[in-house]
Amino acid sequence: LTPEQFERAAERLRNPAPGSRIEAAKRYGVDLTLLIEQLRLTPAERARKLERAAKVMAKYRGVARRKRS
Amino acid sequence: MEFARLIQALSDGTVEFAVVGDIAVVHGSRHAEMMLDVCYSRSNANLGRLVSALAPFHPGPRGFPADLPFVWDEATLRHATVLTLRTDLGDIDLLAEVAGVGAWEEVKAHARQVDAFERHVPILELAALIRSKRAAGRPKDLAAIPELESLLEALED
Repeated sequence: LTPEQFERAAERLRNPAPGSRIEAAKRYGVDLTLLIEQLRLTPAERARKLERAAKVMAKYRGVARRKRS
Repeated sequence: MEFARLIQALSDGTVEFAVVGDIAVVHGSRHAEMMLDVCYSRSNANLGRLVSALAPFHPGPRGFPADLPFVWDEATLRHATVLTLRTDLGDIDLLAEVAGVGAWEEVKAHARQVDAFERHVPILELAALIRSKRAAGRPKDLAAIPELESLLEALED
């Protein structure tokens, strides 16, 4: 995203227009501030974050599996 | 789950593919599953490339005993439209078509190149991803839609 695109998207998420899908998502319970934080990252940074989360999950799954056996 | 190594293997193997599932996190979503969903071209040449790219990671059917006989080759791919596999790098689903979007040509037309995982990765665009989730209709897919729709609306020109 260009800085302008990011600012426009962030503003829409901070102040959803009445009747918008963003407003509906907010009412549904989506934390829009977390989406803004995600959009602040580049796709590559989001991908790296996903990789890190996957590794942590794999580690905990391994611990849980060893405890069961 | 090693998303990067799986995607790099497909990309470096010049496989015609697109990432189509819960890797929407790359679009900005927070929803992600720890598996890779991929749609691929069913051309004979591409089936061969896909087999070669994944073979080093020992793909096998997911949810079955590891010693179940399984042949990873082009015929196996040709005879299945959906293959749910485990590999040494994590789980991967290979899809000949995507609900709500279509077969490879439609998926390809609705994928965009994203710089991620140290490659140019074709990823299903947000609007098509939303259609696929709506068509899949599982509770976890439907639950992701409000967030994806707000991202789409936020990013619209």
